[in-house]
Amino acid sequence: MLILRRKIGQVITINDNIRIIIQDVQNEHIVRIGIEAPPDIPVHRMEIYNIIQQENASAGGAGALNWLKGASNDGSSSDENSDET
Amino acid sequence: MAAAATKTVMKPEAISNEAFFFPQGLAGFSDAHEFGFIYEGHGDIVCLQSIDSPEAAFLLTPWDEERLGHVPKLPNEQCSCISIDDQSHIMWMVVLNPFADKEWVTANLRAPIALNLEARLGLQCIRADSELEIRYRWMKQPS
Repeated sequence: MLILRRKIGQVITINDNIRIIIQDVQNEHIVRIGIEAPPDIPVHRMEIYNIIQQENASAGGAGALNWLKGASNDGSSSDENSDET
Repeated sequence: MAAAATKTVMKPEAISNEAFFFPQGLAGFSDAHEFGFIYEGHGDIVCLQSIDSPEAAFLLTPWDEERLGHVPKLPNEQCSCISIDDQSHIMWMVVLNPFADKEWVTANLRAPIALNLEARLGLQCIRADSELEIRYRWMKQPS
């Protein structure tokens, strides 16, 4: 892992198209950073991204289409089964 | 404004024919960019399937404002990713999980799908709010 020391306002560049700017350090523990990246580069907090990644893996897959075909053959619909919460 | 616009474009049949491009892919499937919609006639549920990687397939259903409240607000940088100038033109859908619970099909409210129907562009919008449910009980499992 590359480790860099940066001051507030200084910048890290990745490739020609990603810039990470150190904005602020609060209470010596929380660092605010700004990230400039092309729109096709997803940028997320890792702990949240990991949760969504796991849920996508659970929800997705070849079985999804099979489930839909099976549900359609059952003749039921989402409207009929709606949770009225 | 957003509510009316969303409801007018929420019929799954309207999005079933042409491929959509997801510039960022989906979380865990970042290499899958081109997706097609498959409609099997089951209510408002469609299957979003990667054209390149068919194992990347998800069940989606339109965001229901009566049950879920207003549609999410897409951050500006993500609007540019799917070429959206006016947020009322976004079609919002939620990803369903029919495998997580024996009794319920659940909906992930933390990472809905935003679609630009005109440009055929899509994005999974990952929301930071930890109070949003990842497995919201959407509907009973078909018997």
